[in-house]
Amino acid sequence: MTAETRVPLAASGAGLARLMGSTFFVKLAAGVVLLVVWEFGVNAWAPAYVARPSGVIAVLPSVIGSGAFLSAAAATLGSVLEGLVIALVLGIAVGIAMGRSFVVDRLIRYYVFGLFAMPMVAILPLITLWFGYTDAARLATTVFAAFFSIVLNAADGARAVPLDYLEVGRSFRAPRLRALADIVLPASMPYLLAGIRLAAARALIGAVVAEFFISVNGLGFFILFNSRSFHHNQAIVAVMVLAGCGVGFEALLNWATRRYFPWYRRDEKVR
Amino acid sequence: MSARRLGWTITAAGLAAGATLWEIAGRSVGAAFVAPLSDTIEALTPSVWRALASSLGLFATGFALSVAIGVPFGLLLARMRLLRVALESYIAILNATPMAALIPFILSMMGFGFAPKVLVVFLFAVFPILYNTVEGARSIRPELIEVARSFRSSERALWRDVLLPFVLPFALTGIRQAIGRALVGMVAAEFFLSASGIGMVLQSASQSIDTATVFAAILLVTLLGVLLMELGSWVEGRYAAWRNIR
Repeated sequence: MTAETRVPLAASGAGLARLMGSTFFVKLAAGVVLLVVWEFGVNAWAPAYVARPSGVIAVLPSVIGSGAFLSAAAATLGSVLEGLVIALVLGIAVGIAMGRSFVVDRLIRYYVFGLFAMPMVAILPLITLWFGYTDAARLATTVFAAFFSIVLNAADGARAVPLDYLEVGRSFRAPRLRALADIVLPASMPYLLAGIRLAAARALIGAVVAEFFISVNGLGFFILFNSRSFHHNQAIVAVMVLAGCGVGFEALLNWATRRYFPWYRRDEKVR
Repeated sequence: MSARRLGWTITAAGLAAGATLWEIAGRSVGAAFVAPLSDTIEALTPSVWRALASSLGLFATGFALSVAIGVPFGLLLARMRLLRVALESYIAILNATPMAALIPFILSMMGFGFAPKVLVVFLFAVFPILYNTVEGARSIRPELIEVARSFRSSERALWRDVLLPFVLPFALTGIRQAIGRALVGMVAAEFFLSASGIGMVLQSASQSIDTATVFAAILLVTLLGVLLMELGSWVEGRYAAWRNIR
């Protein structure tokens, strides 16, 4: 397959490279313009403490090297990843049960959809009542934020499994659990990846908001603390790391979908 | 019994079981941790409803602003290819950035009041709209515009017959996604900027360990979320149905 696709690509390689190059420079120029507008806009109209690109670049090395920043980043990202893993394991189990069983689906669909639609920030007061002002409260928030989008997507995926696959499995007398693990789970992977992408974004927001609310060490609290003491340039570095994580998660999951499920297009793009 | 009937019976049983469990949990665990359903319903006082109405005003203002700016700007990007190429990566980056991280900056620059809260809701909602609209703009095949031009189509006709029909369904998807984000922005703004609406009710009730009111407020916000999201899906399905048919 790779040999076949590489030939036409190589043939049009020069043209493609030129096209890529031209859009790249347009994007780069736009980025420079945006930064210049930011810099001069802040210089002209905003108070001195407001973040500007030159200020952010000036503080970047010292912030990234500081122990406080690194431990904050590790705390937030660790909590997001841990929350995602927990939500993934539980969410796949519940989602597949929902997708494959009519009774389970009808029993819990309104709960799942309701809790998915609920703005997760709203349960922060409740979470602090249950878990106190601790790391566990942040973890609970990320799990809660991520869980329901995984359940809904896993259920969609499990519903979309072609009946033929299951029938072949049954013909070979595959036990029910084996069929779930070896047929339903792999077949619903593309949906699951879409769910994980959504869940990761929600978990990241959940972690940041939880840190604002419960004041535990993390990037959200780093931003809150520094912006309160008028160190906006330092705080922007943390925003950049969060943005990088958001973009990184999305890029990773898009890549995985394209790499392992090239036939899958939920929103077919014409080009 | 038909499958449909059976489905509804199971759903009703599920809801009844949930309500019973909630009541039992509330009575056995202790009212400070879980308020029983009966107490929660009792806590739905007029003041909680008024708080919800105030929150809804914030939501509507910020959301309307993000639609009013996001959709026309997205359409502009659909028409002007160079501008789209220049900005689409930055829109995608901002769409993936947790906007909640910007709340402390807004607080220290704009202080308290209604405007900074509207800005928070706007920032939460506008990027999914822009992102999806740009996605729609990318989906327009250049041949369509070229053919329209070859037939000397006027700018007006080009918008009416090519750009709008192609881009609007994507914009609606963005608007649907924006509803959920705007709700999060709404509650976050009410928590972390000047306290108001349902966010203030939640915060003051949790500080005085009035768990029943916390539950009541969460219940109302959840119902609001379900209602708005269903509305969004309905509108999207009604006007963007052709996108799923290929």
